Amino acid sequence: MNQSEGTLIRRLACDHQPAEKSRDENPWLRVLKKEAASWICDLPLPNRKMEAWRYTPVEFIDSTAFTVDEEAPFEALDPSDIEELLLPGSEWTDRVVFVNGRYAPGLSDLKTGNGMTLYTLAGESKLPSGFKRQIGQADLSDRFFFTLNNALMSDGAVIHVTGQSGARRRLELLHITVGMPDPVIHNPRHLVVLENNAGLELVERYTSLGKSSYFNNAVIDIHLSEGSELLHTRLQEESELAQHLSHLTVKLERQSHYQQVSLAAGGAWSRTDAQIIFNGEHAHAELDGLILAGSKQLNDVHLEVLHEVPNCTSREHFKGLLSANGKIVFDGKILVARDAQKTDAALNNENLMLSRSAEVDTKPQLEIFADDVKCSHGATVGELDPEMLFYLRSRGIPKAEAERMLCTAFANEVVSRISESSLRDHAKRMVLRRLASRGEAA
Amino acid sequence: MLTIENLKAAAGEKEILRGLDLQVNAGEVHAIMGPNGSGKSSLAHILAGREGLDVKDGSVTFDGRDLLELEPEERAAAGVFLAFQYPVELPGVNNTHFLKEALNAQRRNRGEEELDSVAFMKLVREKMELVSMKPELLKRQVNAGFSGGEKKRNEILQLTLFEPRLAILDETDSGLDIDALRTVSEGVNAVRSEERAIILVTHYQRLLDYIEPDFVHVLADGRIIRSGDKTLALELEKKGYNWITDSEAA
Repeated sequence: MNQSEGTLIRRLACDHQPAEKSRDENPWLRVLKKEAASWICDLPLPNRKMEAWRYTPVEFIDSTAFTVDEEAPFEALDPSDIEELLLPGSEWTDRVVFVNGRYAPGLSDLKTGNGMTLYTLAGESKLPSGFKRQIGQADLSDRFFFTLNNALMSDGAVIHVTGQSGARRRLELLHITVGMPDPVIHNPRHLVVLENNAGLELVERYTSLGKSSYFNNAVIDIHLSEGSELLHTRLQEESELAQHLSHLTVKLERQSHYQQVSLAAGGAWSRTDAQIIFNGEHAHAELDGLILAGSKQLNDVHLEVLHEVPNCTSREHFKGLLSANGKIVFDGKILVARDAQKTDAALNNENLMLSRSAEVDTKPQLEIFADDVKCSHGATVGELDPEMLFYLRSRGIPKAEAERMLCTAFANEVVSRISESSLRDHAKRMVLRRLASRGEAA
Repeated sequence: MLTIENLKAAAGEKEILRGLDLQVNAGEVHAIMGPNGSGKSSLAHILAGREGLDVKDGSVTFDGRDLLELEPEERAAAGVFLAFQYPVELPGVNNTHFLKEALNAQRRNRGEEELDSVAFMKLVREKMELVSMKPELLKRQVNAGFSGGEKKRNEILQLTLFEPRLAILDETDSGLDIDALRTVSEGVNAVRSEERAIILVTHYQRLLDYIEPDFVHVLADGRIIRSGDKTLALELEKKGYNWITDSEAA
């Protein structure tokens, strides 16, 4: 390894050994962190020579003196402080709030007795050993930031949903970052497990109070047991100065159903590393994503869909909207294993560029080892259609507004996939706000 | 109302108008006919302000203003309306939203009060009835998946909604069956008035059976080579365009 690179962050990870003295941390967590820390000392920092990082600069990680936030300020927050962040008029019955990477019970609103149980990694309540195992079996040998999360993780939610009642539950997993004087790295680590035939609507949000610089390095693992169904809405609304990286893994067992709508709007540097893994037959996954990149923003989506077993279907549709000097990286891959016959999979990336100084690097890929499959992939990059613009303007609609209408229409194809209306309205407002401010630094 | 003098225009290298003169007064209906490629549609689009068509010489005055100086949206607010031969599909843009935004943008530009949703819906329903348009088309995306006839009706709906001073209909009759042609024509006739002028750009005489013009002009090779009353259109129908273009050449 190259000793000169990544010294700051590596030293942080190696030095930040969960010494027995620091906190009364759960012993099993301490063991996991220690192991990850030993890995991180030898893992190369991502760089442009690695295919997965070819278009995504990570210099910030080496030039920023990140610290790990030991004492989270959530004690200082009360519900009225976060009111501006809450979804207006939402009917979400349950809310689990993490402030600066730590569970904030005082801000959370969780009902019990509906088949849903919440544990936290740092919490008092005993985490069943099965979940500890699931968290512990992660592969630490490969991905730097993932292993970094493991080395530094201090808290996270384990959400366990059973299907006994057969009822739908809604849960918002809300991340709030409160600005600190020094740049801080947060490493929340979540696990969502749906038992057989269970259903959940999960909203995963990343927000901030105030304009601050921080690095959110989150991991969320999802396990969908037989016949279970998850509607997953992901809203990345980080501070415009923030770095955001989320690692998402979804494992689908037989006849399970996963639907994701994601909207990545905030952050100076933002990346999603997602892996969808089909473990059981007749499962279905559907992902729609909107990626926004405006002035001084980089937004990266890396997506891998692994069809390991026969008879599964997947649809991935990601749209990028670029303005000013924004940059989008899309790398999407469908992999069909030799045994995964009758796979039906399609992946598609569309990009709309509003500025000549924007940049998009898109790479849809198919890797197929089975011979009886239906797969397609594609990518497009385009500008606003001059015919459409002229049509709108000839009807009296000023140019800027006509452009906004067409961009909104482009974005709405994804946003309209959100079924819950207050959430959909919130997402629409996010897009409109971004479109309204896009000209500022163009 | 509209005075076009010695208008010369080109699309890139290609000359399309070579010194065109036309005077249109309020209350008049003018038909502009001509063979394919004569420049009729280009004239319509130049008046609406399309980019990519360069005016090289001449002037267009509309209600005393230099029309060529105005942006497309300013022309619309000033009262120029172009019904497209091929109305553009706008996937993801709701038709009601589009119509309301357009009408209110024009009103704002003119310093008039905007219509609220209730007033707008009342107005648009009234106008839809006039052009026999199915109400559900309001909920759809603008022109997306509309049939040819539905697209043209949507154009005429806008004509009746915006009530422009000058309406330019570019081959509105093309691709319409007789029933659709009749309802579209009824829509156009309904907006005919002493304050309003209409320019019908058409290849065929058929439309003029339904909308009777006061003047008929023949456009060929970028200029108006003959003008007359509606009998000129009938004669054209009988004898073909060659009758005039050949006699011009002679």
